[in-house]
Amino acid sequence: MSREYKVGIFVICAAALVLLALLFLAVEKGLFSTSHTYTLSSRTGDGFAVGMPVVFSGFDIGRVHSLELDDRGIVLIKIRIPDKHVKWIKEDSFFVLYRPLIGAARIVVNTNNLESPPMPEKKVAEVFVVNDINDAIEKIQPLLETIERLSRRIDGMAAKADEQVFGKEGTLPQINKILKDVAGKLEKLETTVDNLNKISKDASEGTQDLGALRADIDEVTQTLNKVSRDINALLYKKKDTEIKLP
Amino acid sequence: MTFFDTEEKLSRAVQKFLRVNPRNAAPVCEDIPLLSNQEAWLNIALIKQYHENMSAQASRKLVFNWLKRLGLESVADKRNLALGDKERFLVKLLRSAMVQNAAILINRPFNMVPQLKNIDPILQALKTIDDLYSSCHIYDYDWMEQKYGALCR
Amino acid sequence: MREHVLILRILNAKKRLMSFIETTGSFAMQRATSFAQMISFAAAVFYRLFMLGTYNSATRTVLVNQIYFTSIQILPAFLAVSVLFGSVLIGIVFQLLKNLGLTDLFGNVLMGLIVTELSPLFTVLLITLRSGAAINTEMAAMKVNQEIKTLETFRIDVINYLLAPRVVNGIISVVLLSFLFSIVLMGSGILFSRVIFGISADVYVNILLNSTNFSDIVIALVKCAVFGFFITFIPIYFGLRATHELTSIPIVVSRGMVSVFAAILIIEVLSLLTKLM
Repeated sequence: MSREYKVGIFVICAAALVLLALLFLAVEKGLFSTSHTYTLSSRTGDGFAVGMPVVFSGFDIGRVHSLELDDRGIVLIKIRIPDKHVKWIKEDSFFVLYRPLIGAARIVVNTNNLESPPMPEKKVAEVFVVNDINDAIEKIQPLLETIERLSRRIDGMAAKADEQVFGKEGTLPQINKILKDVAGKLEKLETTVDNLNKISKDASEGTQDLGALRADIDEVTQTLNKVSRDINALLYKKKDTEIKLP
Repeated sequence: MTFFDTEEKLSRAVQKFLRVNPRNAAPVCEDIPLLSNQEAWLNIALIKQYHENMSAQASRKLVFNWLKRLGLESVADKRNLALGDKERFLVKLLRSAMVQNAAILINRPFNMVPQLKNIDPILQALKTIDDLYSSCHIYDYDWMEQKYGALCR
Repeated sequence: MREHVLILRILNAKKRLMSFIETTGSFAMQRATSFAQMISFAAAVFYRLFMLGTYNSATRTVLVNQIYFTSIQILPAFLAVSVLFGSVLIGIVFQLLKNLGLTDLFGNVLMGLIVTELSPLFTVLLITLRSGAAINTEMAAMKVNQEIKTLETFRIDVINYLLAPRVVNGIISVVLLSFLFSIVLMGSGILFSRVIFGISADVYVNILLNSTNFSDIVIALVKCAVFGFFITFIPIYFGLRATHELTSIPIVVSRGMVSVFAAILIIEVLSLLTKLM
């Protein structure tokens, strides 16, 4: 294969590829198709730019062609939609300027009823603005206010609780007093338990000498019963009386 | 054939020749080399391709034909450094002859082909291609006259 | 006596300062003049590219040879490098986007950054390293061998015969090879988007179309053409500035290559500025 032939094939193939790709892109982008121009309005031109995409269901269907300011100070946004995408724009369509936190701003077309009649080109629809940053701030604002209110209430509650718990008439001094009382009672109970141990020892000694003390068992048992009843009575009455064993 | 006694006079004469023949001067000199990045035949064909827009195939055919006449087909695809002195001279001569109505000026031929004993082989070559050029001039120093033999007398 | 020495010192310092300013001024003027000369020569060559008389059988032969050496000979290696480098690059970028949660933007990154910025830069660097250096040396060698004088003697225009075909080859080669590189990149994109994002080819093409700006593609093509012009013009320009000494070859080649690199950076920055505006 001659050099000229190889060069010819390369140049023709590559150039054809470039041209076909450009042509495909141009057709897909609607460069050769005729288009409709719709006019939208907004109170502010903030966020709008010529060339900004017009999107329907996530797909580019057109571009912002020009921005104008009318006599009343309202911004008129002219969008150009190629013929093949005009079907998405109906009378009940509404337009939203969407400014995401990340990525380019775009005008989103929302059409609820695709059966409704097409939007007349003379109609001037208003653009609603959905701004990710502002929306985020707007959503967070009431939350912040609630948190502030809550913290103020918590502060008040904490102050009240302080007084109720630690104050002169508060819960804590009273609890201390009760605790001291209980501790005293427990000490006394300890002595009683010791005495009981002693008694049980005596009792066991008594049972060992069954032969000699058999006659006394009933009496001792009765005495023990009585003592235990007395202890019970004493414990229930919580009296500071000393328990005396018989 | 013109002889000069100094380098300066010869150089001035060459300059004058180029001035007088601005459209068809075709010098064959040591300091006008062949293009080293092209084969011998392309060096010759270049003149026809550039000035007469002759196609590559047609010019190749023409050049090969003339090289054959000079017995040089074997050097057609060689480059400058691969050529012998005589071959290089003849390729340069043929290149000059490609100029339309060529006024060939051979400047000190024995400088380019030192091993030549006399001018005869050059004259022979000129005769072979005489239908290609309109005039031919040879410039040299006068102390080289003897190499030109009977031509000078 | 001491005052006398002081005055002499002050005078000397003043003289040195003047000499420094003069040297700086002369250097700046020299650079400005040589830059202006280069630009005016570039304009002349650019103008000549559009003249029909520039092209004849000889220039066409040179053009065919140049395209053969610059594009065809390099093509297998270029495609292999494109597939290898392009796939790795696309894989890394896609994975990074996924990790950062920027999956939505992969179309914009692929078209706006990789296809329109990186592939021309990669191609132009490859061609400059291979052909730019070769052209620079070839021209310098021709000048040293007095072959330029041969052309002038036989009334062969240096711009028409040497510059035009090489510059046209530069433009054609950079545009076409850069485009091929982009195609390879987008091809590997299909594969990686399926593996990494689980996106089908149809959706991938749709996302690419959505994130493609026609103007960006046109700017990228124009940029490739400008790259192609300068990466061949500058080496020829510097190569032709060689003297008749062999030692001048490395000097003009290194100057030429540094200038080409500077030109590539300037063009890249200018194209980015155009995009920003």
